[in-house]
Parts: sequence; structure tokens; C-alpha cells
Amino acid sequence: MVRRSGVLLKSAATGISSRLAEILVCPLTKQPLRMCEKTNSLISDSIGVSYPIVEWIPRLVPSDGIILQSDQDLNSSDSPQTNSS
Amino acid sequence: MAALQFAFPSTAGSRRRPESRSTTRPARCTADRQALFNRIAPVYDNLNDLLSLGMHRVWKRMAVSWNEVREGDTAVDVCCGSGDLAFLLSEKVGISGKVIALDFSKEQLQIAATRQSAQSKACYKNIEWIEGDAADLPFPRSSFDAATIGYGLRNIVDRRKAMEEMYKVLKPGSKVSILDFNKSTSSLNSFSSSISCFFQDWMIDYIVVPIASGYTLADEYQYLKSSIKKYLTGKELEQLAREVGFSEAKFYEIGAGLMGNLVATR
Repeated sequence: MVRRSGVLLKSAATGISSRLAEILVCPLTKQPLRMCEKTNSLISDSIGVSYPIVEWIPRLVPSDGIILQSDQDLNSSDSPQTNSS
Repeated sequence: MAALQFAFPSTAGSRRRPESRSTTRPARCTADRQALFNRIAPVYDNLNDLLSLGMHRVWKRMAVSWNEVREGDTAVDVCCGSGDLAFLLSEKVGISGKVIALDFSKEQLQIAATRQSAQSKACYKNIEWIEGDAADLPFPRSSFDAATIGYGLRNIVDRRKAMEEMYKVLKPGSKVSILDFNKSTSSLNSFSSSISCFFQDWMIDYIVVPIASGYTLADEYQYLKSSIKKYLTGKELEQLAREVGFSEAKFYEIGAGLMGNLVATR
């Protein structure tokens, strides 16, 4: 979906805009988050936690975070999103 | 203010204050309060209108005016609930701006998103809803040109942490406008404060809780009274804001002293 401004690209899978994903950070570490369309979540690589996106609303309460159990979990997510307009 | 001019009850009668017979535990921790706001979400908007006779809309407009948000700004509304302040901010920042609205209640956010979908104004499309904790904001430093917290700070367990987080995410020179019930500094030397305090208690016991009980939410709105008593006074809010680093902090009583708005500048 392209916003009316023509600038933002809303992810088809997650439903959150790439611009929003870029400004959000991990609530605990304040480090950038990586959007993962495969798991529909925002990944905090610094602490290995995944925050879900449910019905286009990111759940970034620390207790909503899911600890990624293994390197496989970390690597199973998509590569970092690149913006396209 | 016509909406709040009720006659004081006679104290000579035998009528006792309504008491809750529920065994629901007090909302002491964040999880309890989160659950509380999830429970009241379906009727939150209607009760706000009913209990304040619509005056909450005026107070919220005042709060937004105080943070001096402008067109094109990026603003944040913390403890956004069902979105009243977010929609007002959105009208101010316009389609070239952005509003990030955060709350810890999933149900409130769902209602806010539904309201957004039902709106036709183009500027409302610039609101993004985030589920988050006011004491652990998921935003980088110096992200926002303006901020609001409406009827939220009183419900946050660690208010100092929330104010620290708010300070960090605001850009230098930007303002946060924090609207909430006013905790009067009632004393023998302050007749008007005593009256406000009495009237506030009376309103909650004889108006708010009975109406809320009609929605089976008496306990949830009984929480309101204890939360006001545990809240900070205007002076204490100003002091807290300065302690966490805000350069200026000014508290304004509104709504005949029942409500108050803190304006703090980063």
C-alpha cells in the first residue's frame, strides 16, 4: 500500500510503514529494531528478542518480547528491509 | 462550569457512602492497571462523555494547545487510550506531520484504530498506534517536537521513570502537556482547595461510581479515587519535572480546580 504522500511504503506483510519501523527502538536497549516479515515481528538483535506485530500494531511492552532461543531463530528472519518509494 | 455545579449533599442524613462489596484487588502493579484499562475499554469513551458532560473534550483541546504543536511536527501521545488526544494532535500537525500514539492496553488501541478507520479526515491517516510502556518508551532520544499525556501519568507506577523517558524523547526546547485530575493541596488555610477536594470525592462516590456500576465497572472507577489521592499535587509535578531535567515546568488548574495540566519544556 502506498501512502497518499507517496513517500512511505507500508509493508504488505506487517502492515506497518517502513518509516515507522525505522524510528522504533527496543524499549529496553534503545537500539534499532529490524523488521522481519517472515515472523511478522520487530527483532532486537542486541538482546535476541522478538516483539510481535498484531493487527498492524507493534507490541513493544517489554513483557511482550519473546526471547529468541537460538542463532537459528535469529537467522531465520529476513534480511534487513530496504526502503523503496 | 455548568457541568460540575451540583448541590452539596446534606451531611445530616444517615446515608452512607457507597462501598464496594467486590473482592477485586486494588490495581497496584502495572499488570493490574493494564488489565483494568482493558476491561473498561469498551465503554471508556461513553463514560468519559457522560461523567464529564463532554467537558473532557475541552480540557484535551487545552492540553494540545499548551504543547504548542505545529503543522509538520512529529508528536507523541503517551497513554493514548482510545485516541482522543492523538486525533487532536493529528489535526494540528496535518498531513505533513506525524503522530505516534502509545498505550499499554491492547483493547484501547484496537478501539483507537477502529475509530481511525471510521474517520474521513486525511490527517488522521498519519497516526501510528504502538503498544508500549510509558516507563520504557520504544523511541530514540530527541524524536518528538511535542508530546501529550492525558489521564495517564496518574496511572503509571513509576512516574519518575516515565518523566525521564518523556524528557529523553523530546527534542530540546519542545514541550510536554500532561493533563489529569488535580490533587488539591487541601489544608485548613486553603478553603477553596478543601472545597475542591470534597467536591472531587463526592463526585466520584455519588456520580462516577454509581454510573460505572451500571456498566458493572464500579470497582474500576472506584480505583479513580485512590489513584487521585496517591497522585502528585501541582507543585510536586513541577518539582518532579525539574528534577528529571525539564528546564521549565508550570502547572495550571482548570475545570474549576478539578483538573490540572502540567506544561514542561525540555
